[in-house]
Amino acid sequence: MQDLRASDIREILKVTQKPEVISFAGGLPASELLPARQMAELARNLLLDDGVRALQYAPTEGLEVLREIIARRLGERLGLQRQPDEVLIVTGSQQALDLTGKVFVDERDAVLCESPTYLGAINALRAYQPRFVEVPTDDDGMVPEELERRLESVDRVKLIYVVPDFQNPSGRRWSVERRRRLAEMAARFGVPVIEDSPYGELYFEGEPLPPVASFDDADVVVYLGTLSKILSPGMRLGWVTAERSLLRRYVLAKQGVDLHTPSLTQLLAARFMLEHDLDAHIAGIRDVYRRRRDAMVAALETLVPLGVRFTRPAGGLFLWVELPEGINARELLERCLELDVAFVPGGAFFANGGHENTLRLNFSAMPEERITEGIRRLGTVLSSVAMAAG
Amino acid sequence: MEISIDRDSSEPIFRQVVREIQGLIRSGSLPEGFRLPPERRLADALGVNRSTIFNAYRELKALGLVDAHVGRGTAVLRAPAPIPHAIGVPWRQLFRESVARSHDPIIADLLALSEREDVISFAIGLPAPELLPLDTLAEFTAELIREVGAPAILHCPTEGHSPLRETIAQWVAARGIRARASDVLVVSGSQQGLDLVARVFIDPGDVIVVEEPTYIGALQSFRVSGAKIIGIPVDEDGMRTDILASILERERPKLIYTLPTYQNPSGVVMSIERRRHLLELASRWHVPILEDDPYSELRYEGAPLPSLKALDENDLVLYQSTFSKALFPGLRIGYLVVPPVVLRQLALAKQGADLHSSSFSQYLLERFVREGHFATHIEKVKTAYRRRRDRMAAALLKDDAIGLEFAVPTGGFYIWCHLPEGVEQSALLANAAARGVVFLPGRACYPTEPPENCLRLNFSHASEQAIDIGIARFLESVREATVRGPAKRMDGAATSPVV
Repeated sequence: MQDLRASDIREILKVTQKPEVISFAGGLPASELLPARQMAELARNLLLDDGVRALQYAPTEGLEVLREIIARRLGERLGLQRQPDEVLIVTGSQQALDLTGKVFVDERDAVLCESPTYLGAINALRAYQPRFVEVPTDDDGMVPEELERRLESVDRVKLIYVVPDFQNPSGRRWSVERRRRLAEMAARFGVPVIEDSPYGELYFEGEPLPPVASFDDADVVVYLGTLSKILSPGMRLGWVTAERSLLRRYVLAKQGVDLHTPSLTQLLAARFMLEHDLDAHIAGIRDVYRRRRDAMVAALETLVPLGVRFTRPAGGLFLWVELPEGINARELLERCLELDVAFVPGGAFFANGGHENTLRLNFSAMPEERITEGIRRLGTVLSSVAMAAG
Repeated sequence: MEISIDRDSSEPIFRQVVREIQGLIRSGSLPEGFRLPPERRLADALGVNRSTIFNAYRELKALGLVDAHVGRGTAVLRAPAPIPHAIGVPWRQLFRESVARSHDPIIADLLALSEREDVISFAIGLPAPELLPLDTLAEFTAELIREVGAPAILHCPTEGHSPLRETIAQWVAARGIRARASDVLVVSGSQQGLDLVARVFIDPGDVIVVEEPTYIGALQSFRVSGAKIIGIPVDEDGMRTDILASILERERPKLIYTLPTYQNPSGVVMSIERRRHLLELASRWHVPILEDDPYSELRYEGAPLPSLKALDENDLVLYQSTFSKALFPGLRIGYLVVPPVVLRQLALAKQGADLHSSSFSQYLLERFVREGHFATHIEKVKTAYRRRRDRMAAALLKDDAIGLEFAVPTGGFYIWCHLPEGVEQSALLANAAARGVVFLPGRACYPTEPPENCLRLNFSHASEQAIDIGIARFLESVREATVRGPAKRMDGAATSPVV
């Protein structure tokens, strides 16, 4: 097999383990917001009164109790009417992406994606050696005419991969109209859509927007969700919902890769949702992240005179920065690391490279004062780089 | 039921059968509840091989069009709603080529059947539920969060929680394996280990050598990778390395997969001479060995043999083990001990596959092993499993007249049985399921041309009382499906040759 490309996520996880670093690099939730104490209590009780189930094998599809809760949540929160047997529990949405590759992607197949798109998806799918075709994307999502042109002209299109809610890395949210048109176009061309929505519940104002899957009456959308951003990333719990016969393919693929997702974590998550108020917990997360976004936006405003442009996302964990042409974000990162500030250079998020003057900033993991301080340091480095460049 | 097939078509016959029946269901010609003819009858009527119909019915089941119950045949579920859009999605053209190879749902079916309370299952390699150390673990989780806090449910490195890697390195040192923490990769159960190794080493068409019979989950992973799988017979001393020698020369495989100790499913232990011979051959032909070692802790008698990894002087052995058998499977934690250059590639593949294994599981296990509870637990389960094995062997010998052949394994989880001539295995499976007992049909454990007369019985999961009841039911079903002959117990402690 071909050498896999050294990965940026891997480097990120390493850097962010040092406590002195002000990290805007991870996609981590704020650790003080994790319900660790409640989890400990729940886990203890779970082992005492349902321990056997928690430690034995489970069906590949996932444990019924969790599938029921997720199906209900999909209906209540997103208007997706799903039966529990239309939900497959997976080991984090990373696994859902990998299974997607296993089910659909042969070498040289084409995968249409946003520009930029999620790095983890590129990594997961790259193992199956597709061609990534970037579809021009504006603030409202993929541009429909551009998408249509590619659906007509690109050979062997297997998938359209999208993150319509507060996308990682750009923070962009697709408009309702674009969602509707994507579902319509995918049905017309008979090409499945992988709708990855890890951040859908993290909106800072108003209501969640209907997922692409809610406009899908041709069973063309595979919808992926996760508990990583709203409960715990370390438990590795996500789900896939799709039309039954298709979902069956995912189940068989999963059986070959890890038999099933750990029973203990499945039951733990189910208990949390039954005994605690997950919605209240999420509301708490939103409040904290909203304040952090505000702090980062305010700090970044001071860098505008240096030619910095950035997005002001209405939710999620990330915002996206464009530096003046000619400044390379990878070089900038090296200088910033000397000052204990980390971020992810944006070039990594483009399936086919380029865009070296962009970067992704995470605002969820650091408290406001560290955000302000980190952006100040970033500004210091930036002005010295700009000065050197003349 | 009117079906026509075209032998000259390039479309495989089983697909034609699927398409025809699908059409009949869609058009309403076959109503909900309609029982499809038994596989054999349809095969005879169409003049095709029975496995063709078997595959076609499986496919229909995977499509959700029919439901198959052992003993009750295959029935039409419902006519699916018409596809709303004119075009819809041509899923079949979109699936990968290898997806067609991946639809053996037998493990999932057995897991599902084994969950039923009225069924005594000898089908799955499950630890005994009543021996699980629940109180200790419950204590730990509370302490864990007090001391560790949020990191226990945050991300951890792809390679694994560092203290767990350290603990595992020390643990395998006791098995004579020299390893540093950095040589250990934590995986989401052995199944993931197999999948990752296949991803890193195997391109479609590459050859993998396995034992015959071998672990069903390994076959599944290797098939999906598109490998050509070649089986080497196993006798009472393990893999026939004399046969391997000629295969290595002829086929130049990419990988040799073996379970040398208490092999799944045969229970056989590879002799020390064979272990040395295997290593010598691998080194001569530069073929890496994947040594899968889930059972070696579960030794009921006899002296332990060194693992291949412990004997390996050329860094050719990729060693894999798991906590799923000796401890419990629900945490999904296994591990590989491999050379650094291999570890790096496996870790990159793992990162794409699931980022990392559950942090919570890893923290919990690390503590459990480090504080000595794992060692204590192993002693406890060994005593219980030895008794269960003896109980099952005794129960199997109750009816000499049946003519079952088996050897009593010296460790592990399974008794591998040979049925007398003339037993119809699928009839037996159906009959047994109807009586409330399930086992693993041996054919699932063969890469090609499976024999019809062997099966695997797990003795670790059911209580001694349940073993008595379950084996009685099992013998009843065998009796019904058999031509009578004398029971034979093989000499020695190993399983009879399976060729």
